[in-house]
This record gives sequence, C-alpha cells and structure tokens, in this order.
Amino acid sequence: MGRYVLRRVAQAVGMLFLVMFVLHLLTTLAIQLNGNPALAFFGDKIPSPAQVAAVEQRFGLDDPCYDQPGNPCLGPFVERLGQYAQGDLGTNLRGREVTDIVASAAPNTLRLFVMVTITWLVLGMVLGSVAARWRGSPSDHGIRLTSVLIDALPVFVLLLVYKEVVTVPLSGWAKETFGEDSWPPYWFKPSFDPEHPWATVAVPGILLGLAGSAAFIRLVRASQLDSYGGDHVRTARSKGLNEGRVVVHHVVRNSSIPVVTAVGLTFAEALSGAVITEGIMNIYGMGGVLWDAVQSSDVGLVLGIVTILTAVTVLVMIVVDIAYAALDPRIRYE
Amino acid sequence: MSAATDRTQATPSGTPLLEVTDLAVEFRTPDGVVRAVDGLSYRVEAGRTLAIVGESGSGKSVSSLAVMGLLPDTARVTRGSVRLGGTDLLTLSRKEHRARCGDQVAMVFQDALAALNPVHTVGYQLTEALRARRGLSRGDARKRAVELLDLVKVPNAKARVKEYPHQFSGGMRQRVMIATALAMDPDVLIADEPTTALDVTVQAQVLRLLAEIQAERHMGLVLITHDLGVVAGVADDVTVMYAGRAVEQAPVVPVYTTPAHPYTRALLRSIPSAAGTGRLPVIPGRPPSPAAMPAGCPFHPRCDAVRDVCRTDVPPRATPAPGRMSACHFASDIMAGREPAPEAGVTASASGGSVPEPKGDPDD
Amino acid sequence: MSEAASAATGNVAGAASRTLASDAWRSLRRRPDVIISGLIITFFVVMAAFPTLFTSVSPRHCVIGDAKIKPQGFGNEFPLGTDSFGCDTLAQLAHGSRPSLLLALVVVGTALVIGVTLGLLAGYYLGWVDFVVSRTVEVFLVIPYLLAAMLLLSLFKNVDLGSGTFTTIMLPAIVLTLFGWMGYARYVRASVLEAKNLDYVTAARALGASDLRIMFRHVLPNAIGPVTALVPTAIAGVIGAEAVLAFLGIGVRPPAISWGIMIENGSSWVLGGYPHMLLVPLAALLATVLSLVVLGDALRDALDPRLSA
Repeated sequence: MGRYVLRRVAQAVGMLFLVMFVLHLLTTLAIQLNGNPALAFFGDKIPSPAQVAAVEQRFGLDDPCYDQPGNPCLGPFVERLGQYAQGDLGTNLRGREVTDIVASAAPNTLRLFVMVTITWLVLGMVLGSVAARWRGSPSDHGIRLTSVLIDALPVFVLLLVYKEVVTVPLSGWAKETFGEDSWPPYWFKPSFDPEHPWATVAVPGILLGLAGSAAFIRLVRASQLDSYGGDHVRTARSKGLNEGRVVVHHVVRNSSIPVVTAVGLTFAEALSGAVITEGIMNIYGMGGVLWDAVQSSDVGLVLGIVTILTAVTVLVMIVVDIAYAALDPRIRYE
Repeated sequence: MSAATDRTQATPSGTPLLEVTDLAVEFRTPDGVVRAVDGLSYRVEAGRTLAIVGESGSGKSVSSLAVMGLLPDTARVTRGSVRLGGTDLLTLSRKEHRARCGDQVAMVFQDALAALNPVHTVGYQLTEALRARRGLSRGDARKRAVELLDLVKVPNAKARVKEYPHQFSGGMRQRVMIATALAMDPDVLIADEPTTALDVTVQAQVLRLLAEIQAERHMGLVLITHDLGVVAGVADDVTVMYAGRAVEQAPVVPVYTTPAHPYTRALLRSIPSAAGTGRLPVIPGRPPSPAAMPAGCPFHPRCDAVRDVCRTDVPPRATPAPGRMSACHFASDIMAGREPAPEAGVTASASGGSVPEPKGDPDD
Repeated sequence: MSEAASAATGNVAGAASRTLASDAWRSLRRRPDVIISGLIITFFVVMAAFPTLFTSVSPRHCVIGDAKIKPQGFGNEFPLGTDSFGCDTLAQLAHGSRPSLLLALVVVGTALVIGVTLGLLAGYYLGWVDFVVSRTVEVFLVIPYLLAAMLLLSLFKNVDLGSGTFTTIMLPAIVLTLFGWMGYARYVRASVLEAKNLDYVTAARALGASDLRIMFRHVLPNAIGPVTALVPTAIAGVIGAEAVLAFLGIGVRPPAISWGIMIENGSSWVLGGYPHMLLVPLAALLATVLSLVVLGDALRDALDPRLSA
C-alpha cells in the first residue's frame, strides 16, 4: 500500500506538470493569436499604462516569442513554474495577491462542496439503493424518470430560475412566517451573505448537488444490481448471515468502489458547476471570484485561479485513487 | 435444537441427514413459467456421498439452491419437502431457513473467484459467520481461520489468512471455498461442481481432499457434477438427472457396470478412457429447453433405443433391481444390455412397476 | 481468394451491426417518449435552418418604443412579446436557435471525429501511440472544461471577429471541441481492445487484410454503438455550455443572437413583471435539452444492452 501511494503521488506530480504545460501552451497560443499580448489580458477594458506595464513584467510578455504564433514560449513557462513553486500566483488588476484572494474565498467554496457532496451521497445512495433493491417496481421506474429529468436541467438554468424566480417570493414568505432575524429567510436569500455563510450557501449547494446526482443514482443502482446478482453475495447468504449484514458488508461495501471512482471523475465537472453556482448566486468563493474576473476582464486573475483549481483537481484525483486502492485490494497489489 | 443434538440423532446409519422428496421448482420467464426441477427425490446419510450428475440445465444446481433457500426471486418451489435433521426447511420462514444454512447444511460453489468476496481477506470470509452468528472474538476467529486453512491443506496458513482471494491460485482458492463451507461444522455439505474450473491434476487433489474431510467428519456429501468420470472414485450413490428429473438412481458400482437408463449408458460411453483408441461417441442433439419439453419421455429425441411408447407416455419410475430406480420404459432391458423389443409397451409391465420413492423398496 | 474470404467476414460483421442497428431502431420507434423527443428536435432543427418560416420580422429590427410588450398571442404583431430593447421575441428565438444548435453540432461532430480517430489508433496499435493518446486524454480530463473555456475565451474578448453566424461561434466551438473529445476516445479505445480479439477480426488479420480495412470494416462497427448513445447527451451539454458562456459575455456575443444571450438579457426582468423574456428562450432550451437527454437515454438502452441492467 505504501509503495502504491508513493507511485501514485509521483504520477500526480508528473500529471500536474503536464497539465500546467498544456494550460501554458493553450494560453500562449491564445495570446499569440490575439495579436496584442499585453492588451489580451484586459479583454474589453481599457487599462492604464501602469497596469499594462505590470502585466508585461509579470507574464514576461516582452519576450519576442509571444509575437510568433506556434512558438511554445518555454522560457516564460520555466519562469512561471518557478513563481508557482514559490507560491507566487500573481495579482489581480488592483494589485491584490491571487493567493490572498484565494485564501479568503476558499472556505466558502469548501462549504459549497460539503453541501454538494452530502447531497450527492444522500440522493445517490438512497435513491440508487432503493431502485436496486426493488428493481422493476414503480419506485424504480420513478427514480429512473427523475434522474433523466435531472440530467436535462443544466445547472445554469436551474440556478438562474431559482435566483430570479423563486428566491424573492420564498424569502419574503420566510420572513413573514418565521420573522426577520430567524434562519429561514437566509436560506432563501438570493445572494451570499458573509455574515451567514452556511445558511446562504446551503440551498445553492443542494441545487448543485441535485444537478449532479443523476449520474450517481444510476451508478449506485447499476453497481448494486451487479452485487446483488453476484456469486459472492450468494455465498454470504449460504453462510446463514442475516440479510442486513449481507447488504452492508457484501452489497454496499462492494458497490462503494465504483461510486468512489465516480466522485473523482465527477469532481472536474462539479468544479465547473461550482463556478456557475457561485457566479450566479454571488457567493464569494473561488468560482465566484473567477466568474467576476471573467466578466470584468481581469485575465491575470482568471489565469491564477484556473491554475489553482486545476491543481486541486489533480490532487482530488490522487486522493480518490488512493481511496480506491484502500477499498479494492485487487488494485493495491497490481 | 442445537447442531450437536441433531448430529447424534442423525448419525445412526440408515437415517438420512438430508432427505429431498418430490421437489419441484418453477421459474417465471418472459416465455412463461418453466419447470426446472420436477419431482426430484434423494437422501443423504451421514458418512455417505451422493453424486448428482447431469448436463447444465438439468436442474441439478437449481435443486441444491432450493435446499439452501438461495433460489433467485423469479423461482418458486411448487411441491415437495426438504427435510434436514427432521425439519422440513421449506415450511420455515426465509429467516429460519437461512439460519440453518451454514450451520447444518453448507455449500461449496463452482467458481471460487466469483464466489468469494474480492474485497475481504480470506480470514475474514472464513470466520465471518462464526463471528456474526456465534460471537467469536477477533483473536479466536483468527486462530480458527488458520485451523480451517490447515484443514484444507493450504500451506503457510498463518500468513495466507491475511491475503485476498485474487492472490490465491485456482486450486487453493477452491480449498478456501471448502474451508469457508466447513467453518460452522455442517452435517451436510453440498458441493456444486467444485472442480469444474480447475486443471485436471488439481481437480483430483481437490476431490481427494473433499473425500478425506467427508470421511473424517462423517458428513453427508452431495457432489454435483456434469462429469460421470469424476464420480467413480468418490461417490457411494449416484443420481443422474435429465431435464429436471432424476432418470436413474442407484449405488455407484451398478451404475457403472449395468446402467439402467439409456442416458446413463450414453454418458458412460462418452467418458474418455486410457485404453480407448477410437472416436469418442457423443450424445446427439441437445438437452430440451425447459420451455419446450417434448411429450412422453423427455430423453426420447436423443435416445438410441427409442420406441413409440417413449414418444407418448412419460415413463414411470421403475425398479429394475433392488435399490435401483430408472425412469425408462425399458429399464430392465437396458440394464441387462438387451435391445428393447421392437415395438411394445408390454415390456413396461415387466420392469417391476413404479414406486414413489427411489430407495423405498422393501428388499433394500 | 483471401480478398474474397475477408470480404465474407466483413459481411458477417456488417450484418451483425446492421441487426443491432435495426433492432435498436425497432425498439426506439415504439417508444412514445422517443417519438415526441424526435419531433421536438426536428422542430428546432427546422427552425435553425429556416428561421424565416417562423417569423417574417428581422431580429435586429428593434424599436425602443415597442420595448417590454407582453406576449400578445399568435396572429398579433408580437406573438411572444418584445424584449427590453423592443426586439421581437419570436424573431429572436427563431434566429437565435441557429448559433446554439450549429455550435452544438459543430462541436460534437468535430469532437466525435477526433475522439474516434484517436481512440481507434490507440486501441489498435497500442504501444507509444496508446501511451501518448491516453496521457493526453488524462490531462484534458483533469482541466475542467468550463475553466479552460473561461480562460481562453477571456483572452479573445478584445478581438472582434465579425458577425457572420460561423465566425461568432468559431471561438467557443474551438475551445469546447478541444475539451470535448476525450469521452469518445476512451469509449472507442475500450471497444477496440474488446473487438480486436474477436474471432472474425483475428481471421481477417490472418487472411492478410490491411490494418485500415480491419479498423474500418471490422473494429469500428463494433465500437460505434456505445459512442452513438453518447451523442445526444453531448449535444445537450454543449447547448447548456453555450448559455453559460453567453451569459458571461465570452461565448456567442451580441449583436449576434443566441438563446444564451436571450436568457442573459431576460433574467433580470422576471421580477419586474416581464417573465416572458426569460421563459421563452428558457422553454426552448429546456425542451431541446430534455428531448436530447431522453433520446440519449433511449439510445443507450437500445445500443448498449450492458448498461440497461
């Protein structure tokens, strides 16, 4: 197991390097094609000369390679990696450190993900298990229909409708029913409130989790059905174990393996969803900052946050891989 | 009633540990209800081995799943009884039935790689039932797991209890499977094709091990197989199944020397022998689908001694000799090695009449 | 002789895939949800291809005096009302369907070609080809596509490419394609690995059929089923992504019209008493996406029996 972890971590470092390189190549190509390296960082905004100078210095844009489309610009890449290694991810247009912004925004993103994960697991495990246990029953069909409907609802649309149509009447109703200073009005507040981070993040988190839960429901159902029909479950029953024990130790335990993998694979997608959620609901998290940065054309900040979030994704994949090995001995000893 | 008292009751020779009577199992399928087992009866005594032989689909595995209460949801026992230590398991609730499994009757499954849980250690699986049902402590369970692996002659048992099924070779895995079934000290062991997935040399070792353990513990053993060849050295009695029914039941030696059913005879001819040089005869055709059972004797389309009566009448259970049963219109002729008379239903009356019980003959 | 024999095995493979396809078609044809979805999709595709069939008004003909008119019903001047700039909602909806659907079609089509080709090469040749393709797939899977799109499209925010339908969708199309091909590559690679060892493929190889011939006549037909089932859902995904990018102002950009832009414009007027500005484009988007998802689900059942357990 120890050697497996070491090997995975080494692979993760390699992967991180590759991912950084691909991001760099794509960014470089985009800057080169844009035709005006320095101005590319300001979008439709008109920057002050001082801002242009800062960006040029920060990204080494005076390097002639940025004027030659197709040139991989390895020099600036190495330099940039050096800066990343020292924890320097640049500044936003107003000169605030990206790391500083991330440090203050990250806790809210974590809160959002806690809500999302709970929603995933609860909906996925409960509905998936029910559908598998009573396969072919009306509840199985109902759950399947629900998961198709969930799939058809883009996160963006779901949250937009929630924010623009549902929140105002709902929070008004909550204020009337429970009083101005009670909790419920905060749950349905159309935007984030730093005074009440958990309350204002809860519903957006549940909605985002709901949007991603369809895949989980299907996966839990399919893998539990596999397990129920599995020979090892028949063996467990033949030992005279009671059904509860068989379900927990032989059905749920075995079907947890693909579910954990799915958490890893869905993470990148969920991150995209988190950006949309935080953007629309004005949550001050990493995604919200990114959303605002895109809208206000602060490309330096966009680059910094995308880099960090991508690194986080690599990290999560490694954690999932290790959890996978802990759950499935066949992987560990390969 | 504890397992121990059951055993003392059951030990006197002649009293069956497990007695299956007139068992019938049906499956619901998209094509309608089909009968997978139809009127199967057999008994297993302490210290004896019964081999159930048949092609796949003959109902031999389904009948043992019915004994264990492990039939899939689409299957239903429609008739018969399964008496284990004096109790009819089929009258028990699912929970009570399950409680007798592992304890009084245990099962060894065919494909040990699939039948063992890949995510738990071998030691865990060996003693899971002991810990959950008899409250064994973790330490005692580990000791017991090592003992069990020693019992089935897995070398280096102490280290191997911590390993996972995929780390074992096929033969060793099957031994683990056997040890798992033995964990609760069952009175009867049902082994469903325990050697099919193994190499020929390993097959022999595993069979020998099963026979040794069975003799040592004075267990009843039901050995399910499609290969009449493996039965000879191990079994005391043989039940040959075809299309969900027992077609011949007898002690092992006469089955080999004087088979009383054309199907048994054909099976024997298709066993490769060391001396044999010519082409191995095969049984023409395929076993009937349970959904489209032929009229009359289910074997008649493939039978080399078929007569008109076979196409119309289901053969009765004949007793061509004491202690033997054959579901053939011409059982005596076949047993004597004669060709049945060209066209006659008359011979049926010469075959000793029908009996409800395979071994219920007073001459026994 | 060898040519004839391999042609014969080819026919066997072809027959097998034809039966699967016709079986799938037969089972799909009988499902009412599939028929309704198909009709809805056809409706919007016709709308995207011939928007003038649905409206005679130009979507750019906006009179600020006609702003914020509620839906008047068909037969009147503004059947679905107007938006905050006085543009006809129906005209916008009809003309806005083109960029949304064209983008989805271009992205999924190109991604499909790239993914299938790379997956086929990787699965067939293995070795270093497989190594390179698999690592590339992993790297692109790790980068969340929306983040990549936000980064790359932001860098082009100051570039004006013109207002032709194709130029407006070009940038989002390139970026979404770049991050949309990996799923197909993985699926195809896996099915190729499976199909490569099938008896008739081995036979074709033994008879001296060329690599290309084996890939396209024998291996690909086996792999195409599960991949086809992914397509409707992928198209739905791109339509959703377009809406997000348009909302951020980095996808299809005004003065071009797309459903995403209409949603963005309309979203702030819902509580002001003009919900139709949001609901009309939203309903069109949801109907399309839902139909595609239902179709994808049905296709998955019909084409990949393993998944429908």
